[in-house]
Amino acid sequence: MKRLWYFIHKELLLLGRDLHGLLLLFVMPAVFILIMTFALQNQYADEGQVKIDYFLLDQDDSPLSRELIESLAQIDNLHRLSTAMNEQALRAATAEDDSKFLMIINKNFEQQLLAGKSALRLEIAPGTKPVMVHLVNAQLQNILGQLSLKIQLQALLAMGDPGAVETLTQVDGKALVTVQSLYKGSSADKDSQERPSSVQQNVPGWLLFSMFFIAIPLSNTLISERSQGTLARLQSMNFPYYTILLGKLIPYFLINLLQVVGMLLIGVYLVPMLGGERLNLGNSFAGLAVISLSASFAAVAYALFIAQLARTTEQATILSGVCNIIMAALGGVMVPRFVMPPVMQDLSVFSPMAWGLDGFLDILLRNGGVNAVLHEAAALSIFGLGLLLLSAFLFSRPGKH
Amino acid sequence: MIKIRQLQFTYQGADQPALANINLCVKSKSIFGLLGPNGAGKTTLLSMLSGLLPRPARSIFIDDCDLSSGNNPCNSGLSLVPQDYAFYQNLTVKENLNFFAGVQGMAKPVLKTRLGEVSEITGLQQRLNQKATTLSGGLKRRLNLAIGLLNSPKLLLLDEPTVGIDPHSRHFILEAIREINRQGTTIIYTSHYMEEVEALCDEIAVLDKGQVVVEGSLQALLQAQGKRSLCVDLIDLPEAQQLEALGKMPGLTHNSLRLDIPVSSEVEILKALETLQEQELGIGRIHYGAHNLEELFLDITQRTLRD
Repeated sequence: MKRLWYFIHKELLLLGRDLHGLLLLFVMPAVFILIMTFALQNQYADEGQVKIDYFLLDQDDSPLSRELIESLAQIDNLHRLSTAMNEQALRAATAEDDSKFLMIINKNFEQQLLAGKSALRLEIAPGTKPVMVHLVNAQLQNILGQLSLKIQLQALLAMGDPGAVETLTQVDGKALVTVQSLYKGSSADKDSQERPSSVQQNVPGWLLFSMFFIAIPLSNTLISERSQGTLARLQSMNFPYYTILLGKLIPYFLINLLQVVGMLLIGVYLVPMLGGERLNLGNSFAGLAVISLSASFAAVAYALFIAQLARTTEQATILSGVCNIIMAALGGVMVPRFVMPPVMQDLSVFSPMAWGLDGFLDILLRNGGVNAVLHEAAALSIFGLGLLLLSAFLFSRPGKH
Repeated sequence: MIKIRQLQFTYQGADQPALANINLCVKSKSIFGLLGPNGAGKTTLLSMLSGLLPRPARSIFIDDCDLSSGNNPCNSGLSLVPQDYAFYQNLTVKENLNFFAGVQGMAKPVLKTRLGEVSEITGLQQRLNQKATTLSGGLKRRLNLAIGLLNSPKLLLLDEPTVGIDPHSRHFILEAIREINRQGTTIIYTSHYMEEVEALCDEIAVLDKGQVVVEGSLQALLQAQGKRSLCVDLIDLPEAQQLEALGKMPGLTHNSLRLDIPVSSEVEILKALETLQEQELGIGRIHYGAHNLEELFLDITQRTLRD
């Protein structure tokens, strides 16, 4: 353990004196985040005149529920998808993003409405922008409020007592609609819906890009050690290979985590200070930690692997640079995945950056928790473990150095 | 005593073995010179001794301790000083020494003491806070050596430790090596500077094409290989008339400016010198008796140009 500390200390001293490495790891992603966030801000924010698809299931099938359906049909930006599916199938289709919303009119609709209780459930497809949820929810509350007033008024008029009109009560629209996201672990029904912005896409995207760029300084130090005979000298000192490998892995792992903290802070504080949207860190720091740790592990293992493949620092720089750009382009860092055609979206599963980005978006955009990022974290960890074992094998080959 | 028995090694994909059936004995506390042209197998042998290349069982022993077994304590008494500047250019001298001592598991008080000792032996006391990249070539060589001394090795493997430095630095390093040897460290020394080996080493071995061509006491080898002939280097090429007169000396060979005159006694030496004087030949240098190491080395390795 004491020996390992000397390796870590040495690596941090070297990196601290490597101006180019520091610029690459900290300044480059910060600049990218700022430029891309502001350059694409309007693109992400502009909702335009889009039609929002929804499924509707009428479990009450009464004149009042049909009146609600009619009112919904009058709204320009809502588009009902006609279907004969049952509730379960509709929910599954919505979860698959066939439609953005599933509206279910509850049984005893009128009684619920009069009692000011939940008369309608609004279920949301995963990844639906919170601004859209807010818009639809507000329209539903408005219609339900009007319907509630109307049936109260009709009841009073039927009683023939005009003075009783003063007893009419404005119902709380929020209580009439139960909002539920079909995204596991999401809390899309919260009042604090953040408007999705380019900062949510660009901060994690360029953060991941820079995390994988750790391959350049890491491989450069390892290749220099190899070519200058330092590695041979260390190996002749009769201690296990894994100490040397861990001595590289741990300090760069810590650097990666520093990048995460630094770039998230830029999104939270610097971007709004310069007039952009503030990054919402979501509700799960544990989830954020899990995805950050696994992305960092994958990036460091990838860097070690590049260092084993390349013979010269030039080769390492070109190889890692090209691989990083391809992974970023494919993984939705440079071009967001949601604007890609389906074929490209399918291809993006081959990029570890896409796994990391999905994980970060689970937390930052969809308000997921630890469970929401587990499969992305597992994919990144398996990727990292595989490359780490390969690197350890290549590193320990006799006569390699 | 270091014993090497029937040591063989072939690099993956190579047609010829890099080392073939090497047998050597190195006396404890001696300085042993390992010579050979480029590609002879010197670095491969040092790599196997230091454990960088796998060591077959029962092939290398230090004081009857087989080095092939993994966690052999004898390994900790061994240190390699590579030919390259095997340290971190962006760290200071002290940071480098601290790191290499620390990773060898040295406790802090021992580390501090040893750091003082090795910087004194190598004359680096005034340079401890200087970045390695700003050191001169000679100081870099001294730092390279200092790192190799940190673990107080019983066996020190020096791979061309003075290559590319000025005579003053070389003299300093050679003196430091003598001092380290006086303190009881056995040294295996490779160099292409024959005068260094001649001045330092008690015994030598010459490797060529992965085999030991000659091994033994340096003085004995120089005496044994020395020719009983007078070697004369001329200033000007002899004319035909002069050559004809010289040709009367039995066994004389002539190669450009060099004459090689076989002689078996002091009388014959004087006679040969008289003949040279009669012919009024301009003489640059005359040599008789034991070879110097360079001559011996070139004779043994047959003077052919290597890779």
